[in-house]
Amino acid sequence: MNALLKPLAPVLACCGLLAAWQLASLGLKNDSFPTALDSLRAIPPILTDKESLINILASLRRMAIGFALALSFAIPLGLLMGRSRSMAAFFNPLLMLIYPVPKAALMPIIMLWLGVGDISKTLVIFLGVSLPVIYHSFEGAKAVEEKMLWSGAAMGLSPGERLLRIVLPAALPEILTGCRTGIVLALITMVTSEMIARQSGAGNILFNALDMGQYDTVFAMIIIIGAMGICLDAAFEVIRRWLVRWSEPQFDMPLSFS
Amino acid sequence: MGVTPIRPGQLAGVPLGRRPAEPIIEIDHVSQVFKTSSRRDHTALSDISLSVEEGAFVSILGPSGCGKSTLLYIVGGFVSPTGGTAKMKGKPITGPGTDRGPVFQEFALFPWKSVLGNVMYGPLQQGIKPSKAEARARALIAMVGLTGFEKFYPKELSGGMKQRVALARTLAYGPEVLLMDEPFGALDAHTRTRLQNDLLEIWERDRKTVLFVTHSVEEAVFLSDKVVMMSRSPGRIREVIDIDLPRPRRREELLLDPRYQKYIVEIERMFDASGDNELPS
Ligand SMILES: Nc1ncnc2c1ncn2[C@@H]1O[C@H](COP(=O)(O)OP(=O)(O)OP(=O)(O)O)[C@@H](O)[C@H]1O
Ligand SMILES: [Mg+2]
Repeated sequence: MNALLKPLAPVLACCGLLAAWQLASLGLKNDSFPTALDSLRAIPPILTDKESLINILASLRRMAIGFALALSFAIPLGLLMGRSRSMAAFFNPLLMLIYPVPKAALMPIIMLWLGVGDISKTLVIFLGVSLPVIYHSFEGAKAVEEKMLWSGAAMGLSPGERLLRIVLPAALPEILTGCRTGIVLALITMVTSEMIARQSGAGNILFNALDMGQYDTVFAMIIIIGAMGICLDAAFEVIRRWLVRWSEPQFDMPLSFS
Repeated sequence: MGVTPIRPGQLAGVPLGRRPAEPIIEIDHVSQVFKTSSRRDHTALSDISLSVEEGAFVSILGPSGCGKSTLLYIVGGFVSPTGGTAKMKGKPITGPGTDRGPVFQEFALFPWKSVLGNVMYGPLQQGIKPSKAEARARALIAMVGLTGFEKFYPKELSGGMKQRVALARTLAYGPEVLLMDEPFGALDAHTRTRLQNDLLEIWERDRKTVLFVTHSVEEAVFLSDKVVMMSRSPGRIREVIDIDLPRPRRREELLLDPRYQKYIVEIERMFDASGDNELPS
């Protein structure tokens, strides 16, 4: 019974949510709150419209670039900070200052300097993703067992090799935990950046529809963006599990759609 | 055996139990003072001098906290002493090197590597061809009795198996000196006995120099040519005892040997006579 129910649970949860939405919307009879069915019906036209698809793909491209840049910057920095006291002493106060600032709040300034194009939006995504990844890489590197590094040193690994070939893999489970938070943040900053710099993207479709009172399209876009998040997260989780199949189960994350 | 001898024929012709008295490790008036958080300095090692002959099996025995690990770390080059010098083959030790292979009590295996990957790590690092490195690793894995577990990750192994992998991993890169820190401390009595026998067999085969830290008097006497007894606060060498028992040693024979029993009783009595009563066996 339980084994049967487990894979069905997310599907049931979705159906339940849609049913509740349908009933609430039918009961409220409000123009700005379309029914679940109307919203679902609005999805295919969006996904078949060339213009919309170009917008959504542009969003995804910015997100991928921002995410990749953030990883290639944040992971080395976090690892260095975790292994070097002076690096940590230098960067920690800096990061503490940036940490609580909502990255989207920097958008107006960034737009002022860099315009409303791809560069600004990608930069905001980069900033949003970087911080959790730095933090988790830092924690992971700090926790690496000293004896493991000593073993490497006895085998003749140089300090640089130890960072790359011992600290990096040893900290990988923790780093990937940070990356997973990073993916969700990338999606959030992506939409917010497009909300502020309205020019292209999934967020742009959503807010244009809102301006024009096409509420079914608004909700359809929310569903599409949500589904994108779920799919990205699930895909990442599959990769993550494979990469850290060697690690102790304490890193297993029960909160997952995959 | 299929194991590639790391220094072939090096000890050929040397009669068992009697080896040339050439010091490979010299510890010269070494002391180690740690700064503690309670602002008082703590002397972990005070004026330690010891020389270890090439090919000797030397155990370091002493109460908890007397600085046994610290001494081993100094020889390994992982910690530099605050006073005195340690030398390997006449050269001052300034850092870790492949000539000294540590086996830590915590195993310190690479969890992302399989058993085979762990054992191959050192040889690959030395630039040995992968096919050759793998052959050597497989032979060592067989030697420590883990054939069939090559593809296992460390998390899938028991404590005793991890300890065997750690030993094989260190042997794989051919260090001249093995530095073993309570390698069997965390194991159950049965596994411990088995690993002692295995280690002795391996050692009697290729006679590496071994520095072996232990809490157990019996273990020290069973394995060693020489037992170094340490006392605590500050850590000093109290006594160095030569263990003059025939090799190859076999547990069943030794247990019936009055000389073996005498060594154990003698050493335990020495510990009892001092204030250092805290000697878990
Ligand atoms: N990094 C350190 N900082 C401060 N004090 C230390 C440090 N490492 C060891 N000590 C102190 O040095 C002393 C010797 O420690 P060590 O670990 O060498 O003892 P040990 O003989 O190996 O003990 P055990 O048998 O319990 O492993 C201890 O009193 C310990 O508190
Ligand atoms: Mg110790």
